[in-house]
Amino acid sequence: MSRNNIALWAMAGLVYSFLYIPLIIVVVYSFNDSKLNAEWVGFTFSWYRTLFHNEEMLTAARNSLFIAISASFLATTLGTMAGLAIHRCKLKVLPMLAFTPVAMPEILLGVSLLLFFLQVLNMTLGLFSIIIAHTIFCIGFVTIIVRARLQGMDESIFEAARDLGATPWQTFHQITLPLIKPAVIAGALMSFTLSIDDFVITFFTKGVGEPILPIQIYTMIKVAVTPEVNAISTLLMLLTLILIIIANKFDTRMLPGDSEK
Amino acid sequence: MNTRHFYVFARTVISISLILFVLSCNRQQNHDSPVFQQKRNTLFLFNWNNYIAPETIKRFEAFCNCRIAQDYYSDNEEMLAKLAAGATGYDVIVPTGNAVDTLIRQNVLKPLDQSLLPNFKNINPIYLNTEFDPANKYSVPYAFTITLLGSNYEKLQALGLPTDTWALIFEPEYLEKIKGRVTVLDSQRELMAAALRYLGHSINDNNEENWQQAKNLIIRAKPYWAAFSNTSYIRELAVGNLWVAHGYSNDLYQAALDAKNTGRNFTIVYSIPQEGAVLALDSMVLHRSGSHPDLAHQFINFMLEGKNSAELTNLIGSGNPNIEALQFIQPELTQNNAVFPDKASLDHLEMLHELDHKQRRLLSRLWTEVKLR
Amino acid sequence: MEVNKLPDSTSNFTKANCFNKWLIGGPPFLFLLIFFAAPSLIMFFTSFRFPGEFGGLAPISPAMDGSSAEYGLTLETYEFLFSDILYAEIFLKTFAIAAVTTLICLIMAYPLALLIARSQKRFRNLMIMLVILPFASNFLIRIYAWMIILGPESVLSHFVNAILGVFGFAPVTLLFSTFAVLIGMVYVHLPFMILPLYTNLEKHDPVLLDAAQDLGANRWQRFWLITWPQSLPGVFAGAALVFIPVLGMFAVPDILGGTGDILIGNLIKDQFLGTRDWPFGSTLSIILTLLVLLIAWLATWLARPSVRQNS
Repeated sequence: MSRNNIALWAMAGLVYSFLYIPLIIVVVYSFNDSKLNAEWVGFTFSWYRTLFHNEEMLTAARNSLFIAISASFLATTLGTMAGLAIHRCKLKVLPMLAFTPVAMPEILLGVSLLLFFLQVLNMTLGLFSIIIAHTIFCIGFVTIIVRARLQGMDESIFEAARDLGATPWQTFHQITLPLIKPAVIAGALMSFTLSIDDFVITFFTKGVGEPILPIQIYTMIKVAVTPEVNAISTLLMLLTLILIIIANKFDTRMLPGDSEK
Repeated sequence: MNTRHFYVFARTVISISLILFVLSCNRQQNHDSPVFQQKRNTLFLFNWNNYIAPETIKRFEAFCNCRIAQDYYSDNEEMLAKLAAGATGYDVIVPTGNAVDTLIRQNVLKPLDQSLLPNFKNINPIYLNTEFDPANKYSVPYAFTITLLGSNYEKLQALGLPTDTWALIFEPEYLEKIKGRVTVLDSQRELMAAALRYLGHSINDNNEENWQQAKNLIIRAKPYWAAFSNTSYIRELAVGNLWVAHGYSNDLYQAALDAKNTGRNFTIVYSIPQEGAVLALDSMVLHRSGSHPDLAHQFINFMLEGKNSAELTNLIGSGNPNIEALQFIQPELTQNNAVFPDKASLDHLEMLHELDHKQRRLLSRLWTEVKLR
Repeated sequence: MEVNKLPDSTSNFTKANCFNKWLIGGPPFLFLLIFFAAPSLIMFFTSFRFPGEFGGLAPISPAMDGSSAEYGLTLETYEFLFSDILYAEIFLKTFAIAAVTTLICLIMAYPLALLIARSQKRFRNLMIMLVILPFASNFLIRIYAWMIILGPESVLSHFVNAILGVFGFAPVTLLFSTFAVLIGMVYVHLPFMILPLYTNLEKHDPVLLDAAQDLGANRWQRFWLITWPQSLPGVFAGAALVFIPVLGMFAVPDILGGTGDILIGNLIKDQFLGTRDWPFGSTLSIILTLLVLLIAWLATWLARPSVRQNS
């Protein structure tokens, strides 16, 4: 048992280092006193100071957070519903609809949505259009993970609930939701990162003159990844960390890992 | 337990809504948010990345008592794709010559009102009346770059290689010595142009046989190249990982400057290959959908003032078609023939023309072959 | 639409649970129908149109001024795609890269997901959060960080070449290679394997493992006979979430790849942001999407027995 665990820990440690080594570079270089950022010159906070005076960048960060939270909330809600419906009702069309956006090249999705928003719906582009666009491709991710959680689950528990006279809503929020919660949260986390990272679809569906973070960053790293860009990435991670911790404090049961058996 | 789960669920919803509410409130209070306020007095500029000096923007904003909101692209095609799908609201766009051509032929540009542009006279006549826009009915030259070769001077000296010929990236005999230390632009048009020029054709040659020849030349040289790179070559050249890069004059200026400022033991040089090269002239144009034509003209005229125009050149090292700007530009730039080409060099430079869709598909097919083989 | 089809009446369970299927299936269905199916239909028709002379699309009806521009619908683009072996090669190559990426992700993610699932509850949250946190930074920044790690003068490069030198191999460059593309792909998609695996493994009942141990099964037997079959839905979900997005990826080969690393994603991107050939871009995307759906269908079909085994 313990030998087993040591092997597992060793492998997990390797995977964690794989995940974090690039990140350490990002964070460390955000304090580098060199604009080209090719090698270590000296320690400075000045990039963070520049950043806090860069109104466009701050607006972009706020916009992106707003989009990511809204889109992941929408996608998680809709995706969970789709996952449940597909699992329970053996639907034919809904799975196609939910999974295809994952398979579709994002550039095609971006262009088609832009055409659709402008020429069919005749709407003004803005944060709203980006949120809808992000929600579409996030739904598939949530649906797949929720469905995978439901697969192979002991169905008798739902029957038992019904036999005991529970209404569908009671069954849902008292039994189903707690059971699938880790998948729902995982889906939300995935949606958040997908949304906050997306460049292509955002480029196409964004409104005029609306600063959005991935696009702002893309314009800044043309010559080289400047420490300022590293600084904003570091701050973004910090902010995400804080948001997760707050959410966790606010609701200790919100994170995955506490499903009932 | 059951009711507790319901509360958990409700609290989650409420907390997320709260966060969203706070974020959105913040947006509305912020005077910088372009959507909610000042939309009437904001100039919407669709511009290249990093293609206007921040201090110029500040000065213009103070001057016109308005705001500039910028959207960016890193390739003409990105801008054309977004516009082709119907994006609207841009007052001023800064496309390259062939894209100006496209936009004019798509009939999406507004003619300029020359009477509102007294500073137009500052433009060097060499850069006016291009074949894309005779009489400059739609476009005002803004800045230009030349596609050329940058190299690590000391390294190439040691290897006994020239620095001013396309042979450097096409001839295996030269490439053998610098294998894996060369990048070329990831651009069908630019690389084909270089190959065509090296073979003695015009960059706008569209004879299929010559294209095939150029393709074969590229495929023969490809094994020696490290990568196709549009941006990362700047840093890699400046830190010494690359020895030769096919790139834009302004980017190579950045690389050379960085290598100098960080005190490396080599210098980055860049020059126009003797066979000739591509000149990309970017111009300011007015988009049909723009709703601030007066402000747009004001902006263009402002950018034509020597001092304002010079700021961009000093910032990124692009060429400047503005005669009045020259006095404000650092001499090491104006004296650099690869940034400000003299008459003789200019005769060696050509601007890219638009291709029709059949040619575009053929070129894309050749390009795919280049990438895959 | 077909969703309306009545569930199998012999299955009591399905029927009873499904009376509210419109309640739970309706909203996502409507949302996707409007915002996904409708725009996709536009692109579907795009693949049958002519590219516009200056970009965009040629008109459906003849031009007013009688100019010779093409108009209407055509199968030309499909012919162009299928008559050229070159494009089939790119498809094949992309699927190979995607398969290898998925496999590497699975091998890396499984132990970690297993470890998290078997940790004490209070550590699980933290460990999952640590997985997702790097991905709150920017995508491009992470890829550029790998450029530094794989660069010719990096510690890793020197280390690898020193080892290769001992065995008498010629030095290699790590950056700008298919190897770098694979690293980048794995890095970007790893959490999409870890999370589904974890959500599946987390629900496993340890009682089964204890029982197997009592019956004398060793570690490997316990894993292969109990944990692995039970985790298959998670494996399939993770595989789908890694394999499929890799197919459309273009930024990783663009930045980390060498001169030969072109994937379908790059080709499709080129059609929209290079060649202005929307019909060809749409055609490529449609073929890609159809292939993915075919594979997904095959996978579901293959996964079926194992699901049955579980229930």
